[in-house]
Amino acid sequence: MNESATPLIEVRGVEKRFGNGTRGLDAVSLSIRRGEVICIIGPSGCGKSTLLRALNALAPVTAGEVWIEGVCVHRRGVDLDRLRAKVGMVFQQFNLFPHLTALENLMLAPMKVLRQAPSIVRTRALDLLEQVGLADKAHSRPAQLSGGQQQRVAIARALCMQPDVMLFDEPTSALDPEMVGEVLEVMRALAANGMTMCVVTHEMAFARAVATRVVFMEAGRIVYEAAPPSFFDAPANERLREFLSERR
Amino acid sequence: MTGEGDGDRRTWIGHVVAAIVVLGIGASLYFASLQVHYEWRWERVPGYLVSTGGREIVAPFDGTVVLAPDGRSLTLTPLLGGETVRVEGFDRVEISDGDIVFSGNTLGREAGWSAGPLALGLWMTLKISMVSLVFALVLGLGAGLARVSSSVAARDLAALYVELIRGTPLLVQIFIMYFFIGTVLSLSAFAAGVAALAVFTGAYVAEIVRGGIEAIPRGQGEAARSLGMSAWQSMRHVVLPQALRNSSPALAGQFINLIKDSSLVSIMALTDLTKAGREVVSSTFSPFEVWFCVALLYLLLTGSLSWVVRRMERRLAHE
Ligand SMILES: Nc1ncnc2c1ncn2[C@@H]1O[C@H](COP(=O)(O)OP(=O)(O)O)[C@@H](O)[C@H]1O
Ligand SMILES: [Mg+2]
Repeated sequence: MNESATPLIEVRGVEKRFGNGTRGLDAVSLSIRRGEVICIIGPSGCGKSTLLRALNALAPVTAGEVWIEGVCVHRRGVDLDRLRAKVGMVFQQFNLFPHLTALENLMLAPMKVLRQAPSIVRTRALDLLEQVGLADKAHSRPAQLSGGQQQRVAIARALCMQPDVMLFDEPTSALDPEMVGEVLEVMRALAANGMTMCVVTHEMAFARAVATRVVFMEAGRIVYEAAPPSFFDAPANERLREFLSERR
Repeated sequence: MTGEGDGDRRTWIGHVVAAIVVLGIGASLYFASLQVHYEWRWERVPGYLVSTGGREIVAPFDGTVVLAPDGRSLTLTPLLGGETVRVEGFDRVEISDGDIVFSGNTLGREAGWSAGPLALGLWMTLKISMVSLVFALVLGLGAGLARVSSSVAARDLAALYVELIRGTPLLVQIFIMYFFIGTVLSLSAFAAGVAALAVFTGAYVAEIVRGGIEAIPRGQGEAARSLGMSAWQSMRHVVLPQALRNSSPALAGQFINLIKDSSLVSIMALTDLTKAGREVVSSTFSPFEVWFCVALLYLLLTGSLSWVVRRMERRLAHE
């Protein structure tokens, strides 16, 4: 098997049962290959966030296998922190560190986890803030930034670890409508640069334009997946047709 | 504009009312003290803080005194033979030429100020509080982190520690520390006092630290872990700094309690402010003035500590 054929992340038949008996995921299989942009859509509570957490081993699954960069995360002695460092994640609520400036938010993990020299990290961090249009906010605290600006800092923070793949969990759902565009713009540019991405979103236009593959989830299962044209225009799934028509 | 002026006036009236109430209580205390024919001797109080009696100069061995003409020094010839020694620095000689003195007898005095008993007690209270504070912080931080750790054993031990300490009186803990643990490990009174106060305050600090950590949203730790940080790095660099900042008012309150609680160590052979007060009272029979003075000194300590903390908080808020 050559390197490009190995998926960056692969889950096989994963199941997630919570302590209270709720089944968050039920026999889900998905693989993310280099250069792919996968969008996941589905009704609230269908397990999208739970799936993303499984994809970077943030929460353990109760059955099935999770492989990150060809390493099975359940094997004994696997350094999960090292694996997670290669998988960036962006949250619905931004989760910036409020006691640090934007620049410090970007620099913390590369310095502590990768042990890179501050001068190198700083240069890269300032570059990234410029890329997301926030060069002038480097020394602002999160509380001084708008939601859209915070989310762009959060994207830059994940990118500063130089990950191989980026996961987004409804990155625009907590934003005022006028700020959604600026965040989607950054994500579009990222995809255009060849970043491998897995995006949970309700932005259908974004999914149609950017995704290489769209996945529909319902009740903890992947019920349908297809390339955007057939996914949106001729979905061969009754539930998906209903879901899409509700959102027109 | 009128509303604002009204508010101003009402605030002023409020302050005046409060002042009248305080004066009223003070006056009734004063008249109550007249009833018991108490003789107030406030003029003596400064002497308990700073003593102007000077330093005693005593004979280093048994000998015969020969005064020098300058009246500020003398020579002492040993009775048992040997080198004659010159003793200097007198402001007042309290012995006559040719006297025979024995080792330890007073020869005279050197003028100057020295700390009075209450000042010495204040210093001891300050010292024991500050040393205990450092150990309490370390202990409380450790126990607080153990309370939220993933290790069940660490959680159990920390919970046991906190429950034992919070469920028993400090006075009893001091007795146990002094008479049992102090004897077994042959600790000095000071070490036993520090140990008791640090262990006691540490339990409360642990609860404050735990509460502070649990109040930080889960997303903070998750974001840190998603960036590849270990559980410890996430705690150290992301969760704990925020938790400690949020709980700094509670921690400051705990340290003010520590200063006040330190008065209980006066039951050991340790002359802190409270013990010094008791000693002064028993030798002067001026309990009212002395205890008021002691209370004022405690207020001075706690007041300046809360002032420092408020300033630090304001600086943190500015950042
Ligand atoms: N920690 C948890 N404990 C119990 N149930 C949970 C927990 N987290 C999520 N769930 C449940 O799992 C299901 C999937 O949740 P989630 O993945 O957050 O959905 P989505 O992100 O698609 O809205 C929901 O029914 C939710 O109530
Ligand atoms: Mg979700």
